[in-house]
Amino acid sequence: MLDGCRVLDLTTERGFLCGQILGDLGADVIKIEPPGGDRARAMAPYFRGEPGADKSVLWWSFNRNKRGITLNLETGEGRELLLRLAAGADFLIESFNPGQLSKYGIGHADLTRVNPALVQVSITPFGQSGPKATYEDSDLIIMAAGGVLILYGDEDRAPIRMSVPQAYLHASVDAAGAALIAYYERLKSNFGQHVDVAAQESVTLAAQSTPLTALVGGSETSRMAGGAKMGAIRIPLVWAAKDGQVSCVMLFGPALGPFTRKLMDYIHAEGGCDDATSERNWIEYGAQLLSGVEPMSAYERITGQVAAFFKSRTKSELFEAARKHNLLIAPVATIGDVLENPQFIDREYWREAEHPELGVALRYPGPFARFGATPIAYRRRPPKIGEHNREIYLDEMAIGEARFADLARRGIV
Amino acid sequence: MARELPLADVKILDFMWVLAGPGITRAMADYGATVVRIESPNRIDPTRTVGPFKDDNPSIEHSALNSNNNAGKLTISLDLTKPAARGVVFDLVRWADVVCEAYSPKAMRGWGFDYESLRAIKPGLIMLSTCLMGQTGPLARFAGFGNLAAAMCGFYKLVGWPDRPPSGPFSAYTDYIAPRFGLVALMAALIHRRRTGEGQYIDQAQAESALHFLTAPILDSVGSGTRYEPVENFDPNYAPHGVYPAAGDDRWIAIACRGDDQWRALCSAIGRPELAADVRFADAAARRNCREAIDAEIASWTRARDAIDAERALQAAGIAAHAVQNSTDMSEDPQLRHRKHFLRVPHHTIGETWVENSRYRLSETPAKVVRPGPALGQHNEYVLRDILGYSDDRIAELAAGEALG
Repeated sequence: MLDGCRVLDLTTERGFLCGQILGDLGADVIKIEPPGGDRARAMAPYFRGEPGADKSVLWWSFNRNKRGITLNLETGEGRELLLRLAAGADFLIESFNPGQLSKYGIGHADLTRVNPALVQVSITPFGQSGPKATYEDSDLIIMAAGGVLILYGDEDRAPIRMSVPQAYLHASVDAAGAALIAYYERLKSNFGQHVDVAAQESVTLAAQSTPLTALVGGSETSRMAGGAKMGAIRIPLVWAAKDGQVSCVMLFGPALGPFTRKLMDYIHAEGGCDDATSERNWIEYGAQLLSGVEPMSAYERITGQVAAFFKSRTKSELFEAARKHNLLIAPVATIGDVLENPQFIDREYWREAEHPELGVALRYPGPFARFGATPIAYRRRPPKIGEHNREIYLDEMAIGEARFADLARRGIV
Repeated sequence: MARELPLADVKILDFMWVLAGPGITRAMADYGATVVRIESPNRIDPTRTVGPFKDDNPSIEHSALNSNNNAGKLTISLDLTKPAARGVVFDLVRWADVVCEAYSPKAMRGWGFDYESLRAIKPGLIMLSTCLMGQTGPLARFAGFGNLAAAMCGFYKLVGWPDRPPSGPFSAYTDYIAPRFGLVALMAALIHRRRTGEGQYIDQAQAESALHFLTAPILDSVGSGTRYEPVENFDPNYAPHGVYPAAGDDRWIAIACRGDDQWRALCSAIGRPELAADVRFADAAARRNCREAIDAEIASWTRARDAIDAERALQAAGIAAHAVQNSTDMSEDPQLRHRKHFLRVPHHTIGETWVENSRYRLSETPAKVVRPGPALGQHNEYVLRDILGYSDDRIAELAAGEALG
């Protein structure tokens, strides 16, 4: 879909996924690393726990469908080569701290001068300007700033994050979407523009509109082990089964109450609760709790019965029942379970990629969507440091062997 | 010269509901697309029944969740069990560039709204189906919310304390990933159509999109046999790295030290410069081994301080730190104000409400967010008369036949 488009990817781990998505869509993505390699290559975890620049799991995860070159942007010659590449590119993605590229002389204005049609995408913690634009950051910091972290964890302890960093993945997919909106506009106007993505704003989506609570005068939602407290009502989401856990929604109202009706009918039919418990009006139940018609203690007695029932059944028994009766129950999976899930296998989701340098094939998540006319292809495994230097500097830019050797000797490529 | 909004020429017929699907078209409406949502009063969008509610009033028009996720869209209420309503849908398909739907796979075919049928009446049509597990496979008909896909994708085991069962991510995690990929998919298809004239059908399994956020642990499990269990706020690359108590009820500050420089700066900032010289804490690996001792030192400083004051003091010293923000903090956050993240907008039936802005800024064609999600049936007349050109008689006939739900 983006065949013929060229993308310059200057990102760190803050933005790898953005370029990978454009590569999946068919663009020619050139990943530009500093000589010696990107800092993500020096971040755990490593393949079989052995540190090494070409053994970084984080690098592999988000640099598929890219060619890789090295270039020192802190030098005048590096900058000149970058501007030459930018003149022929359609997108440039970067994740430097705000102002860093301008300091190098390759900021938005410099790039626009050489290529007014370039779509420039910046991914930063807090955006290009503003009182926090120069704040230090990390995944944890962004989740705290974006209103997500406060919702995670147990009510009697400190908030906790998801242990696999997520913040910049949210920002990177947003960046890809925004880049494509800008590119679609370019097809009409012939001009590029600057797309400013702030990870803090990106992650707010994962707070499910709760950041609006104070402004609209609603009841605060807060964290609770395996669920959430929505105002005064405790909503369990994770339940213990006989052999692990399941996730199950048990809510009320005209849209969600009918699912609770079906759940309670099933539990009742299995002998898991008495008639009075199953025969509540689940559509009106939330309103009854809030008005006090139904005391909170009665609700807690019911969720206690549901919990006891779940505890008496295995995950697969509960999941089978969910499929049979259209209940909102799913097993809590380990990564191992995910790899065995018959759904993904049946859809031939997983993609094996050969890593000849390691003598192994690794299993990657497959296409993020199935396009009927233009299916996503995994054309290239993630590049090693400078793997395509010769191909790009010599074959495509024709800078000549002598200059290439000189630049390499001086650490510019 | 002012440039037109990027998607001003894009017309979308939107059958989607709940969170993941409508999040896609919300973003497209921000950038100028005309989005007509089909809603049914008999099958109400669950987000209309979930908070936060304006003024804590749980009516279907007071949900800020719904009005945020559907900002800028038009809506028509149709009872799709009525043939006359399905006739309106076919006319809207002829009008649209894009049809998107988030029903379980059987429903659209049942109404005759499958891609082959719709493409026959609208050549070049783009259609996106988004559901939990995809249109094919043994779990194709397993429907539900993003908490279920998140559980089946393995996200739950990544949030929790080692001494307790995992607590899982907040609410419906894959619903916050899938719409971002869904937008990418639709934009790519629109670009392809603009370049070639060819439309297409897209099958988005929300679980398959979301698993891209777990690529690293999947590779690590397959390649190295690593098992992922809850580790609270532990991080393999940062130390110290945690959430510390601040003054007040449920007030916290997050702190992450990237390297030894930040550690030394932190020791000075909390008034304990001698810790930086302590050999027990010399490097990140050593600090990870002494987490409890270090965390106690940090907490003894944070506990007496306001979270936002502590954040500012630590950031001024070059340390990655931030108050763990609740919705009040968010509403007062100077950075979010600078970016105009929260927008006050007039609502058709409840006066005023607030929505969130687009999550990114396009320098030449910024998002235009001026309306919250519509009230049920708000644009029935507009859609039928102004978009489809129906006569008053025809509209009256539809209403009389209860096709408008």
